[in-house]
Amino acid sequence: MRKLKTSLIMVAVTTALIAVNSASLAGTIRIGATMRMVSENGQKYGQMVQDEFDIINETGGINGNKIELTLLNDECKSDKGVANANKFVHERKVHLIIGSTCSSVSLPIVDVTAKAGVPQIIPHSTNAKITQKGSAWVFRVPVSGRYYAGVNAKYVGENIGKKIAYICAADAASQNDCEAMQKQMKSQFGSEAAYVAQVQEKEVDFRTHMLKIRSAKVDGIMVAALAETMSRALVQSYEAGIGPKVRRIGSSSASNAPVPKIAGDAVIGVFYAAAYAAADTRPIAIMFNNMVRQRYGIHAPDHDFSQAWDLVRIVEIALGRASLKLDDGNLAADRTAIRDALATVKDYNGLGSGPISFCADATPQCRDGNRTAVLVAYKKGGENFETEVLARVTMPADFGL
Amino acid sequence: MDILLEVIVFGLTIGVVYGIVALGISLIYTGLDIVHFAHGEIYMFGAFFGLVFSEHLKVPYAFAILCAMFVTGILGIVIERVFYRRLTRAGGGYTVAGMGMIICGFGMSVVLMNIAFLLFGADAEPFPVSFGAPYQIGEIFLPKSYAITAVASLVLMAALHFLLKFTKIGLAIRAVAANKDIAFLMGINVPLMISLIFGLACAVAAAAGVLIGPMQSVQVEMGYLMLMKAFAAAVVGGFGSLPGAIIGGLLVGVFENLGAAYVSGSHKDIYAFLLLILVLMLRPSGLFGVEAKVKA
Repeated sequence: MRKLKTSLIMVAVTTALIAVNSASLAGTIRIGATMRMVSENGQKYGQMVQDEFDIINETGGINGNKIELTLLNDECKSDKGVANANKFVHERKVHLIIGSTCSSVSLPIVDVTAKAGVPQIIPHSTNAKITQKGSAWVFRVPVSGRYYAGVNAKYVGENIGKKIAYICAADAASQNDCEAMQKQMKSQFGSEAAYVAQVQEKEVDFRTHMLKIRSAKVDGIMVAALAETMSRALVQSYEAGIGPKVRRIGSSSASNAPVPKIAGDAVIGVFYAAAYAAADTRPIAIMFNNMVRQRYGIHAPDHDFSQAWDLVRIVEIALGRASLKLDDGNLAADRTAIRDALATVKDYNGLGSGPISFCADATPQCRDGNRTAVLVAYKKGGENFETEVLARVTMPADFGL
Repeated sequence: MDILLEVIVFGLTIGVVYGIVALGISLIYTGLDIVHFAHGEIYMFGAFFGLVFSEHLKVPYAFAILCAMFVTGILGIVIERVFYRRLTRAGGGYTVAGMGMIICGFGMSVVLMNIAFLLFGADAEPFPVSFGAPYQIGEIFLPKSYAITAVASLVLMAALHFLLKFTKIGLAIRAVAANKDIAFLMGINVPLMISLIFGLACAVAAAAGVLIGPMQSVQVEMGYLMLMKAFAAAVVGGFGSLPGAIIGGLLVGVFENLGAAYVSGSHKDIYAFLLLILVLMLRPSGLFGVEAKVKA
């Protein structure tokens, strides 16, 4: 009898615990974010995403629902990113995935989210193939590499020259930037690459390449690489005797703060296409710069910060529009509702270089939200770097396809 | 042809750095009979120590090299005394044959890298040292940092050579390297000499790290590629041969730069390992190799 009583109590306690747990999940929108958070910048924009969702929760949530964010670091490694995405989909049972920073991570996650039917919104990755996979579940906040290439090529061909050398690092974004730029230089100006070098993602010695580039007497050098690698290449280009008259063109990661910090004076004159310029004088940009400076101690936020911030705002809009049940039985329906709500976001004007719009078709034209790039040039290197905006260009939706 | 001389000069400057890291690896192998797989991380720590002295404590660059060598040497001695010594004692002597020390070296590499992450963060740090305008000889540009690297490396090698060949400590180190048991019977403090060898090898790696810092910036993951190149240099020169390590480093540096300049600039790291395979096929003990002993 005593044994039966104990068993009944245990069953009752277990049932109560399950009920409490279910109750806590009801009214909670679960979001999983996987980003590159190895560097100081990465940790801080990851923290900013967390903080922004916390602020939304503190001010009443979205339609009374709280957001529960699980933020994981994928270290820009595709295996870790895919593991994080699978954890979000199958263990955390999230309604939405944010990620990733690196194209090489976002690309395989697209397959995970497409198969599982989970909406995925991308904060930073620029590789054009991400939306060209045709997944109905993917939305991109940053400017696609195909637009960046078009803007860069137009400026280079019209203002610098047509004889360009390319240093292309092995990461997915840099490969895409490099290939797209060469393609655009050829299609816009009939110009073939004067020199192309494929280098490792974390290459440290560019001197032989720079000697060959110097002897090729080029008009410009495009360095498509992640921040640290790009910085080393820029410094070594001067060490090899290539003067400032030969313009240096950066891939989109040239906007990252480590570039001017590591490259120092070698960054002066380097220009790149980006989705945000800290030199932006709009009130929203000034407010954002001040907020990031005060909250995170960042001198001038790059477009990784602005895009992460815009992404939170877009998610906030979409979640506000979505009709969500938020119980386990309606997980698939809620995911679909969030996807459909994201597709209704039109002409969102935030920090980005241009308005961000999505639509329902699973095409790059619909899912590459921002079609406007700003061309930014460094005026000063070091920790307290300075930039200036050279141009702002909006591309047609089907450009580069 | 127009860039050949510069390619060779650049190859020699990076090669001399490979050489001094390989020198440390060979020194440890000669003296302690172990292959030290954490030497890349020692090199990385040395570079960070140099950065701290130069940038934060505002010590002049040349003195920062010496300070980093000293601190890294002490770090090496601590690692050897606290961790590796236990393995050698467990083996019943001063030598560990087998996989134990190799695995321990890999483990130490991971531990050191994670400690560095905690201490210095994941960001690459610039190592800004103002060397002034590059030397220009005709159409050849030679940045002063490269010239300083080459000269400093040569001075370091000469000092090490002097220490090993013309001092009593050097004689004791060589005796320990040749035969530890007989050295012990001759009254040499073998454990002390082993610590000294390890400390010296780590100090030399630190010098390489501080010399390379201004050229390539400093980051936690910088040790891996250097270790691979230094191993290639040590094997090409003949594992355990100190002059061989230097010659191997120079050959690897020049070979990979020539390959990048005249074959293909893409993925130039393969040339170092092609040279390694070539030398191993033609002369398995390396160019200046010694008779194979039972080593860990």
